[in-house]
Amino acid sequence: MKFERASLQRYATLRWIVAAVFVALALRLCYIQLIDTKYKDLATSNIIRRVVEYPSRGEVLDRRGEYLVQSRECYDVMVIAGEIPHEGFDTMRMAAILDITPERLRSQIDKARRYPRAPFLVTNYVPQQAKLAFDECYFKGFYTVFRTARQYPRKIGGNLLGYVGEVSERDIKRWPYYSAGDYIGIGGVESAYEVELRGRKGVKVETTDTHGAVKGSYMDGAFDTLPVNGRRLISTIDARLQAFAEELMEGKIGAVVAIEPSSGEILVMASSPTYDPDELVGRQRGNHYMTLQENVRQPLFNRAVKSKYPPGSTFKLVQGLIGMQEGVLHSSDLHPCHEGFVVGKRKVKCHSHRSPVDLRDAVATSCNAYFCYVFKDIITNPKYGGVRRGLEVWREYVESFGFGRTLDSDFIGEGVGNVPSTEDYDRMYNGRWNWGTPISLSIGQGEMGCTPLQMANLAAIVANRGYYYIPHIVKHIEGCDSLDARFYQRQYTKVDSRYFEPIVEGMWRGVNVWGTSRGAELPGLDVCGKTGTAQNPHGKDHSTFLSFAPKDNPRIAISVYVENGGFGATIALPIASLIEELYLTDTIRRPEMLRYVKEHTVYYPYYDKLNAKKNRK
Amino acid sequence: MFDSSSEGLFYGIDRVALLLYVALVAVGLLCITAASYDERIDDVFSMSHFYMKQLMWIGISWTVALVLLLIDEKYFHMWAYPAYILGIASLVAVLMFGREVNGARAWFQLGDVRIQPVEFAKIATALTLARVMSAYSFSISRPSDIVKVAVVIMLPLGIIILQNDTGSGVVLCSFLFVLYREGLSRAICMPLVLIVFLFIFSFILEPLALFLVLLAALVVYSAARSGRWSAHVRFMAFTLLCSLLLSVATPLSGYASLMIVCGVEAAVLIIAAVQNKAYEILWLTAMFIGSMIFVPTTDYIFDNVLKPHQRDRVLSFVGMKSDPLGIDYNVNQSQIAIGSGGFAGKGFMEGTQIRYNFVPEKHTDFIFCTLGEEWGFVGTIAVLGLFIALILRLMKMGERIKEPFGRIYCYCVAAILLFHVMVNVGMTIGLMPVMGIPLPLMSYGGSSLVAFTMLIIIAIRLDASTRQDAANI
Repeated sequence: MKFERASLQRYATLRWIVAAVFVALALRLCYIQLIDTKYKDLATSNIIRRVVEYPSRGEVLDRRGEYLVQSRECYDVMVIAGEIPHEGFDTMRMAAILDITPERLRSQIDKARRYPRAPFLVTNYVPQQAKLAFDECYFKGFYTVFRTARQYPRKIGGNLLGYVGEVSERDIKRWPYYSAGDYIGIGGVESAYEVELRGRKGVKVETTDTHGAVKGSYMDGAFDTLPVNGRRLISTIDARLQAFAEELMEGKIGAVVAIEPSSGEILVMASSPTYDPDELVGRQRGNHYMTLQENVRQPLFNRAVKSKYPPGSTFKLVQGLIGMQEGVLHSSDLHPCHEGFVVGKRKVKCHSHRSPVDLRDAVATSCNAYFCYVFKDIITNPKYGGVRRGLEVWREYVESFGFGRTLDSDFIGEGVGNVPSTEDYDRMYNGRWNWGTPISLSIGQGEMGCTPLQMANLAAIVANRGYYYIPHIVKHIEGCDSLDARFYQRQYTKVDSRYFEPIVEGMWRGVNVWGTSRGAELPGLDVCGKTGTAQNPHGKDHSTFLSFAPKDNPRIAISVYVENGGFGATIALPIASLIEELYLTDTIRRPEMLRYVKEHTVYYPYYDKLNAKKNRK
Repeated sequence: MFDSSSEGLFYGIDRVALLLYVALVAVGLLCITAASYDERIDDVFSMSHFYMKQLMWIGISWTVALVLLLIDEKYFHMWAYPAYILGIASLVAVLMFGREVNGARAWFQLGDVRIQPVEFAKIATALTLARVMSAYSFSISRPSDIVKVAVVIMLPLGIIILQNDTGSGVVLCSFLFVLYREGLSRAICMPLVLIVFLFIFSFILEPLALFLVLLAALVVYSAARSGRWSAHVRFMAFTLLCSLLLSVATPLSGYASLMIVCGVEAAVLIIAAVQNKAYEILWLTAMFIGSMIFVPTTDYIFDNVLKPHQRDRVLSFVGMKSDPLGIDYNVNQSQIAIGSGGFAGKGFMEGTQIRYNFVPEKHTDFIFCTLGEEWGFVGTIAVLGLFIALILRLMKMGERIKEPFGRIYCYCVAAILLFHVMVNVGMTIGLMPVMGIPLPLMSYGGSSLVAFTMLIIIAIRLDASTRQDAANI
């Protein structure tokens, strides 16, 4: 009986629960059907449509006010499939106006029908003319959205400027600002200054009637936001110089970087081979991108900031500076050179020149043996009690010059290069090595690797006698008083400025008196320079040249690197010299040199072999 | 009361239940017609109209119903286990060979006809549950028997969730209703109900609000049971004041302060409860602590276990993604449809929301919108009235059947109906997440109509036979 009563009680409880569920539903129905009247209004003014208004992307100018990147108006054509009339529309005509095939148009509309109420992108990059023609036809269910596309009046600086593409799934996940179909800067300036360039999207909430015609803004525009256009950037690049550098580098693989030493502004940053940035805009972007991607010479790889080249003899400047600061070298010290420097069974070779030489002449003639002595003295310095500690001290110095680390420029994806550490040698030689092992470092060979940007920065350091400003590519952002504070601070190396004079003197002599850099002489401009000829496993030596001018109050510091170009003086030197000449004098007075450089083609059996291999596949 | 002279098919049949059933099917047909009438098809009787197809399904259902009414009741008891095995087998088969629709692999495609085995598995599970629990040796308070019951329910539920058809799977949780009726201890029922409650409502309420609601509910429950209201009010005031002070005086958030205060109180309560052997308080406290741990867990499950589309559906429900053209578009438009119906509705075939396709799935899962828009508050309340009447009728039938098998089965049917109506109607008016389960007897769909007909007719048949027996004695 007790169980019976409990059951009845539970039966009662359950009936109450059933009643409670229905009361809850009934109350809610009562509220939305009888009390709240907003649903009636919404049903009559149905449906709300959110139209995203895209801002115009900021443009990029060079330092003299010339356009590097412009924004051109173009349109996306959208469709709301549910609003296409049942009897259909003239697909042939629309396809003709939009310049797409009728098959593609039909397949796009079939895709759109899966979400009949959601806007769907039919095609993009519709030029203004086509848009006007399209609007005149009034296709029901279709509308156009204002977008901007990039255009490059001078067609220069592909890798430097980067390009604009659609956001990826990953971008959308990472930054909630983006939604599918948005554009984002990829690489170069476009990516580094994405936030400034993109501006902010706006939104217009519109109501439409049941036939899809726009009736007006929702709640008098209470939820609308206006798009904010992207900011205009003034870049530090000199367009004329950039174009000139790219022209000179044609047919060669390598990079040119020029910096204004007194500010760290990058005047030229050319990576060769380059590409026409206009190719990465528009509907054919994907195809062109694939072609560039497959090119074995890697035009999409920004060699100026990402590659890892051995600096060769240009690095001797750093050795000399460290030696003097460490007190193991005096600028008047003489060292003999018998066409090389012997370490055990190995010999670091040198070309024939007069011997012995002091530091200035060693720089001017680029004597290998001299800097082997210097490097040996630095790392075997008795005050550090061993090569291990000596090399560590040396490495700290080298890093203070910006090698083996990023310079923290405003360029995304900056390479670090490589400055080997004691651990690296321990690993390579099982812990058994002595001062002779890393001897190649003394002439910038061996494990040493650096980016052309780091080398140009070295030129700037020498030009400034001991400090640099962090290299950067943007001079001014519209609406901002200044750039990030780090670009205005002097970055000192660990070498005192008084030790720079003999090095500068050596670089000046090499160009103007006698030495390896004679060809770079410009009358009255006191050019200082240092050649480099870097051995490498891919064939002929790399040709490099590092220079700044004038000697006092320098205006330009430059580094040119040509893969497999031979001696530093063969090709890197004339390129650097011509760029300096154009920058400092606004004219070219050496047409024969210009012709020589333009006609000089470097052969790349290494890349050709890669290409052949790829084609065989 | 009964016409004992007629020995026909309808002898002993509960006519009220049958009438309610027929009325709901008829209203459903009307709504399907309004929702899907296509002017472009000239022939009114063309089989491409959904209402013609539904009419065909009604014919099939009623044929099945007649057959079921002819069967002797003992066969339902006999066939329970084979049906269960068949049901599980078909669920596994559909998992392997089925057709995927809207992300759920839950349909068999036979020519033009799609069959959803889940609907039939419900019948089999209800019968099996009734048979297991009506066994002579069965006792709801014995752990091994509870495990048996749990297995019967969890096995199909697990497979259905694997099909990605979580909505239909959760329907089986409604059997808790039956278990409660059959005397399952409160100590088991309440935590289970609490879990379901927390899981659903942790998405609507902020953690802090959820805690306050929970705390209030527990204090009210405890006060109602003990009758010492003033002591409980003081306890509540003390807790809130302490938490407030703590959150003002320290950098802790409101949630953290409340948690600390409640944690200390819970510790004191547990010690006191153990000393005084007040086990009720002990398990109330334990449940509270359990929920405190549970809330962050649901967050974790939400972020890491649910599939994106499930997450979207839940999120849409909570209104966290309030893009009018995004995920909660369905719910938004469905509420506009129902809300714009007003008191008397817009009239048959006059609903703009429905006619102009603003509400998706308006003849299947969202059929209630058609009703709400075209028949207004009058229509929705009337239909809810029919449902509540049918459910209460089924419960009443269960109570008057003396054999446990029939009673348990009737309760199972009532529970399934209640859950379906609650979730389906709830989702159309924004009270429940969009789970994708049909409105019984009204939504378009052959499997669902035939299955619900079978469910209800078997209940009526079982009830009829006991009344026949009673009349014959």
